[in-house]
Amino acid sequence: MSTVTIDSSRFGTLEIASENVIEFPTGLIGLTGNRYVLLDADGAFHWLHSIDDPTIALPVTNPWAFFADYEVELSDEASKPITAEPADVSVFVTVRAGAELSDFYANLRAPILVADGKGHQVINESENAPVRAPLFGAVAAAA
Amino acid sequence: MLLITRRVGEKIMVGDDIVVHVKEIVGNTVRVGIEAPRSTPIYREEIWNAVREENRAAADAPFTLPSPQPAA
Repeated sequence: MSTVTIDSSRFGTLEIASENVIEFPTGLIGLTGNRYVLLDADGAFHWLHSIDDPTIALPVTNPWAFFADYEVELSDEASKPITAEPADVSVFVTVRAGAELSDFYANLRAPILVADGKGHQVINESENAPVRAPLFGAVAAAA
Repeated sequence: MLLITRRVGEKIMVGDDIVVHVKEIVGNTVRVGIEAPRSTPIYREEIWNAVREENRAAADAPFTLPSPQPAA
């Protein structure tokens, strides 16, 4: 099994199986690098960890864990690079994490679609998809 | 910044692979068509800026994440 090694600034040395590498042809908006890997974190979250820049790692989550009505609508142009069947696509949203849960915000406007070892950050044209949606608000509403 | 004045129907080449078409002008609004290779994504600037800001803020995460309880 071939592996990739990351000298993560947060987690130390990580050995990643090559089949777990996710290739982002156009990277993430505003960040350098094209290769990432998903690492487990606590409960609802994963780390999307850059392989090309070991200092970059973003918390991401499954949007439906917090936003039951979440919808992803893509323009024709935006959907072109996504060749997989919708059922095979995993959707993540980046999370701006604060010291407490009340300071957590998800970017519903630019979800990350992952399928077949490829990732794309796309613009969601859906109406109710703010760039900064409080996670705490969703949890409180469900209580 | 290069400033170019165009009429409706005229185009601008950005490098050899990107074409900007001026399609329609109505009042203060210009409708622009852009042809570019798939490797060059195109965004409204304010969206691009907001997403870049959120990506960078996300990448600034504290080392450990508090354990949340997601909505059931």
